[in-house]
Amino acid sequence: MTTLGRILIVEDDPNDVELTLTALTDYNLANEVVITRDGQQALDYLYCRGEFSTRSTDNPAVMLLDLKLPKVGGLEVLQQIKSDERLKMMPVVVLTSSNEEKDMVRSYSLGVNAYVVKPVDFHEFVNAVKELGVFWAVINEPPPGSVKK
Amino acid sequence: MTELAEGPTHVGVRRSLAYWNQEFQRIHSPILRYGFSVVSVAIAVGVALALRYYQFREAELPVLTLAIALTTWYAGAGPSVVAVLLSTACFAYFFAEPIYSFEISPRDLPYFLVFVAWAALVASFSAVRRRIEDSLRQARDNLLVELEQRRHREDEIRKLNQELGKRAAELEATNKELESFAYSVSHDLRAPLRHMVGYSELLQRQASSLLDEKSQRFIRTILDSAKRMGNLIDDLLAFSRIGRTETKKTEVDLEQLVKEVVAEIGQDMKSRDIAWKIGALPVCYGDRSMLRLVVVNLVSNAVKFTRMRRPAEIEIGCVDRNKKEVEVFVRDNGAGFDMQYVNKLFGVFQRLHLPEQFEGTGIGLATVQRIIHRHGGKVWGEGAVDQGATFYFSLPKAQDAAERTANAP
Repeated sequence: MTTLGRILIVEDDPNDVELTLTALTDYNLANEVVITRDGQQALDYLYCRGEFSTRSTDNPAVMLLDLKLPKVGGLEVLQQIKSDERLKMMPVVVLTSSNEEKDMVRSYSLGVNAYVVKPVDFHEFVNAVKELGVFWAVINEPPPGSVKK
Repeated sequence: MTELAEGPTHVGVRRSLAYWNQEFQRIHSPILRYGFSVVSVAIAVGVALALRYYQFREAELPVLTLAIALTTWYAGAGPSVVAVLLSTACFAYFFAEPIYSFEISPRDLPYFLVFVAWAALVASFSAVRRRIEDSLRQARDNLLVELEQRRHREDEIRKLNQELGKRAAELEATNKELESFAYSVSHDLRAPLRHMVGYSELLQRQASSLLDEKSQRFIRTILDSAKRMGNLIDDLLAFSRIGRTETKKTEVDLEQLVKEVVAEIGQDMKSRDIAWKIGALPVCYGDRSMLRLVVVNLVSNAVKFTRMRRPAEIEIGCVDRNKKEVEVFVRDNGAGFDMQYVNKLFGVFQRLHLPEQFEGTGIGLATVQRIIHRHGGKVWGEGAVDQGATFYFSLPKAQDAAERTANAP
């Protein structure tokens, strides 16, 4: 592995956070992971506001976004990102429990880069997270201005 | 209702005239009617005599005919005859030479006959006119009653429509609620399940060396149950989605669809000895992906319940009962079922076999029924224990459905 892109995870459920991190750790993908717990915090991170005002202004290589979030919902976050000149190039992957067609259609029409339904089966879940991590943080060439190590 | 477009005053005058006209014509008592006849002739004679006194010559004829006409108009045919007779008598007595006698001089005879003929003519014309007016009035009254009834019915329809609108709104609200319910089920119920599975797996991984065989089995049971619940939730959501999504109806070639599904399922069943028999199937009208789900469910059920047969026989065909509908059946020689429980077959999560015998969540046939009902068809099953089962569904034929759509307003 030459470079590793930063992964921004937006997930309110601590168990899901732990399981995702476990899956990423298994494949040595967890070094550059940032966790935000709701839509507001995720936007704060992206706009370098509040607690994140001191971070470097580079965008993450990928954002794993849950849809059902406290305060600002996932779809709202997605809409803001995709309508912002500076952020709209950043790859966003929706990682959600919802396989409702409505959510899928809305996400894609807002310009999401991928839509992944969290599998109930743990092995499948680990596999999905691993594949996502490997593809977006390693294989994929992120747009200019993304954090890479 | 459109009112006649007329000035209000004009209408008012006409209405009050019509009212009084009607009031007079409503004299029904025979005493009053014949009285009217006698009085009007008496008045006419009085007036004619007064006119003669004041040297008005030949006034009696018009005055008496006027009295006859009025009597006919207001009192009817009988009194008008009386009026004619009376005025004839009075005319002969008071006005025809020799005066004050019922005799008539030959000189006055033509004059007298003309009067009698004239009076009879007026009376008969008036009677005819009165009869016509009577029937017209009758017709108008009927019309008014009908109008009133129709207005009443319209009110009723309007009320029903309002009620219907309210119901539709309520239904829409319930549907919305149901949708958000399904949504939260899909999202919120799955998350803890995923955690149960995930942490059990982690525990298994972490502590497998420390756990004895029994504890290992417990963990496996937790995992299996959680996965099963996951499947149940997924099936239930898919089932509820069938009720909520719009159907996109086109012409569907059932034979092609069935062959497709059989090829797909047969691919996974290569190790099994299955004798497929697919008859000629017509083109029907429906949502292809939904009908595919129906065929998949019925065919995989047939495959599942013939597991112990060597060979398993599965037949798919159609019965041409009538012009409008096509009836398709899927027959197998599998486990069958007791007809006593036929009503339970299509219930959600209803199963007639133990999970150890045949796996499944019990939603397949419920899904089939829901889809077929949404297509305006029927679904039913026949079977006997250990002698196989046959499931039928009916669908509108493509031609008929197309005609119906074309004829729809």
